[in-house]
Amino acid sequence: MALFPITSNFEGDFVLQLVAVDTENTMDEVAAAAAHHSVGRRVRARPGQILRVRRQGAAEFFPRTMKLGEAGLKPTETVEIIWEAPKH
Amino acid sequence: MAVLNRMDWYDLARTTNWSPTYVTEDELFPPLMSGAFGLPQDAWEKYDEPYKQTYPEYVKVQRDKDAGAYSVKAALERSRIFENADPGWKSVMKAHYGAIARGEYAAASAEARMMRFSKAPGMRNMSTLGCLDEIRHGQMQLYFPHEHVAKDRQMDWAFKAYDTNEWGMIAARHFFDDIMMTRDAISVSIMLTFSFETGFTNMQFLGLAADAAEAGDHTFANLISSIQTDESRHAQIGGPALKVLIENGQKAEAQKRVDIAVWGAWKLFSVLTGPIMDYYTPLEHRKQSFKEFMEEWIVAQFERALTDMGLDLPWYWDIFLKDIAETHHGMHMGSYFWRPTVWWNPAAGVSPDERAWLEEKYPGWNDTWGQCWDVIIDNVVDGNMAMAYPETLPYVCNMCQLPILGTPGKQWNVKDYPLEYNGRLYHFGSEVDRWCFQQEPERYAGHMSIVDRFLAGMIQPMDLGGALAYMNLAPGECGDDAHNYAWAEVYRAMRTAKKAG
Repeated sequence: MALFPITSNFEGDFVLQLVAVDTENTMDEVAAAAAHHSVGRRVRARPGQILRVRRQGAAEFFPRTMKLGEAGLKPTETVEIIWEAPKH
Repeated sequence: MAVLNRMDWYDLARTTNWSPTYVTEDELFPPLMSGAFGLPQDAWEKYDEPYKQTYPEYVKVQRDKDAGAYSVKAALERSRIFENADPGWKSVMKAHYGAIARGEYAAASAEARMMRFSKAPGMRNMSTLGCLDEIRHGQMQLYFPHEHVAKDRQMDWAFKAYDTNEWGMIAARHFFDDIMMTRDAISVSIMLTFSFETGFTNMQFLGLAADAAEAGDHTFANLISSIQTDESRHAQIGGPALKVLIENGQKAEAQKRVDIAVWGAWKLFSVLTGPIMDYYTPLEHRKQSFKEFMEEWIVAQFERALTDMGLDLPWYWDIFLKDIAETHHGMHMGSYFWRPTVWWNPAAGVSPDERAWLEEKYPGWNDTWGQCWDVIIDNVVDGNMAMAYPETLPYVCNMCQLPILGTPGKQWNVKDYPLEYNGRLYHFGSEVDRWCFQQEPERYAGHMSIVDRFLAGMIQPMDLGGALAYMNLAPGECGDDAHNYAWAEVYRAMRTAKKAG
């Protein structure tokens, strides 16, 4: 376990933000930590949608249960937090 | 006794170069300070300043200018303009004085470097007057706000701001240190006078003077118009230096300095002047939008100045033209949302009428920045104030030191421009900021942004209280909504009417 700073680029928001997370956090937990600083402050919640995490510019999301420490991110590296509609 | 006309003796009198015999030319003009670009004295003697003024003429004109500005102030001191001014206008004054006044003193030192170390005699003469100008500007812009210090603690930041680690001041110092405090005489002439003063001070001092007059603040309008008349003279120091450089095969180096300085100036004005013009100035007193001012004062004038000089437009001109309609909206939202961290009270500027104006001036505003403001407005109307403030830091750019931001909402395009250098990950707000850094990485690499300082444990405790203490913002100085959220009443009424309907 180790505190790990990431830079959150949250879909629909206007600014990058510093977010403190932990290497043991899953990507869903990383998304929730980033959402705390954007959703309900400057970005409307999107009921029914989930949030996914990807490296900036990547096409693929990290698996939702992947631990942050396994993602190979550098401290303060920017991740994009993207809304995803449920798949039917 | 007959007196010769100025032009009969000026050129001869200011021919003050000589051939040193006791020391070498490099000892007389150390390259690090003079920045002669390898050119000997005689190349610089061709420097021909377009605006020639003698010291007696200078003193006479300056005396008249001071008499004008100070007498307007004295006449209006009892008029209670400050007490009766719209709170948004007071914020304009506070932001301006804090960001500018002490910087003027710093600029006097930069002018003094040209005065002593330039190999061009004409430049030495002009910058002697320029140095006196900057001292005058520093003194006036500290004296004029001083009468308001007893009424409003934030006015004390006219003097205090420059010595603090407040994030906007870190950004301002980083820029001014780069273009004028740590450069050689010739680079100062290019970066400070040609790049910054030619275009951007026009923006701050003429554009703002028009808004001030509209707002009825004639003291402020006269003060900054008086300053601008000096700027328009000493801003001409850089042009002839560029000419000498271009004629001697140094165009690429000259162009690079222009490109770096213009970009940095743009970013600083996007946070300082953009919000002032499009959000703080009361709607009925706005002369033009920030974008319109930029297009008139910066784009048109600067394009002409560059072309006349034989320079190219900066490589990033298309990016710049796009940014002038976007960046300052984000800078405003950032300084509003993080309002406890500034020394003035930001005016939200998002009443229904103001939003209609923004949509007209910036088509698509409601679908972008407006979407974020909708959430902020809902929280204010609901009294959910905890959500109308931040709980973390915005990430700031390692070049301009300002938040890394973009367009939100339906046209979301926010992006980081990272760079790994010597094992450290740097973040930039644009391709251009990153390019500026890459031109001379060692010059900038050691600087720590406010976020770097936070992560290094230099800000304790690691919360808002610790951050405010680090930024020297005492209670009573922290910013809050300029109108105490009165603008939200109309939204509350609209919501009640909707429910009733």
